[in-house]
Amino acid sequence: MKIKIFILAFILVLLPVLTSRAFAQVQTRIRTIEASNVGSLVDPSLRDVHDQLGSLFNFTSYRLLRDESVSLAPNKPYEISAHREVSLEVTLVSQKKDMAEYRVRIRREKSEILNTTVRLSPGRSVLVGGPKHGKGIIILALSARF
Amino acid sequence: MRDPCTSLSGLLERYFDRDVTDQEKRFVEDHLQDCQACQDELRSLEELQTLLKVPVDEAARQEDFAWVWQKIEREIQAREKPSWRESIRAWLGLFFPSRRRVLIPAVAVALLIIAITSPLFFKETPSQLDSSVVVYLESDTNNVMVYEPEKENVTVIWLFEGPDKESPT
Repeated sequence: MKIKIFILAFILVLLPVLTSRAFAQVQTRIRTIEASNVGSLVDPSLRDVHDQLGSLFNFTSYRLLRDESVSLAPNKPYEISAHREVSLEVTLVSQKKDMAEYRVRIRREKSEILNTTVRLSPGRSVLVGGPKHGKGIIILALSARF
Repeated sequence: MRDPCTSLSGLLERYFDRDVTDQEKRFVEDHLQDCQACQDELRSLEELQTLLKVPVDEAARQEDFAWVWQKIEREIQAREKPSWRESIRAWLGLFFPSRRRVLIPAVAVALLIIAITSPLFFKETPSQLDSSVVVYLESDTNNVMVYEPEKENVTVIWLFEGPDKESPT
């Protein structure tokens, strides 16, 4: 009887360790931004993106289209429809203690124009930009919270 | 009728050496109460013992038996030294007791410790590949640029789409 209780307690202790590995999710912030030279409005929440891209591109306007914080599970694609022709797909590929690997796919009219895999660590972000969107372009700002 | 002292002669020495049964002891003690000859015989045995005991004890006190015991113990150990197989079996026996009551909890605890500590042992050290942010990049249709500013904690992946790809809002 004592042995059975001990084994049961052992399983109960071990279960959270195993399940946390099997069903690990990563809180991911995905911002969809439109950058253009039409106007000079920079969304206050996009100051960081403006500063980061300022040395590369001379966009005068940064507009936040979507700001989402989602819990991504491994290998479950999360789709963002930024435009009727452009779709963005973010998939958590793997997750370790302080690193998450994402696959980002951008499609235009069902044909893939970009496929990339990136690794994010705490405090690090990735900007994936370039697809045309009206008179500007779309930027996807990706960061993970561990 | 036999002389009781004649039949007691061997018994008296064994009685003196305390090598008799309870029945024999009672028989000798009953006899001693009535027989002066046997009482004298017993007394002479006691005197003889005292006479011998004193010098023997004295000689034994003067003799050092420690080295004899050491030699005996060495001999015992040399004869009883187990083979290497028996030594290994005995050594393993310390860690793997055969009793299930001990073995099952021991295995469970060992597994628990392994499960908890394994991430520490198998913690991957960051390699050059791990430190890079962009693992894979592909675009069949456009040029792509990767930019990592030194000061900023950001990586920029930029797709250069041609002007004909621009879509209306």
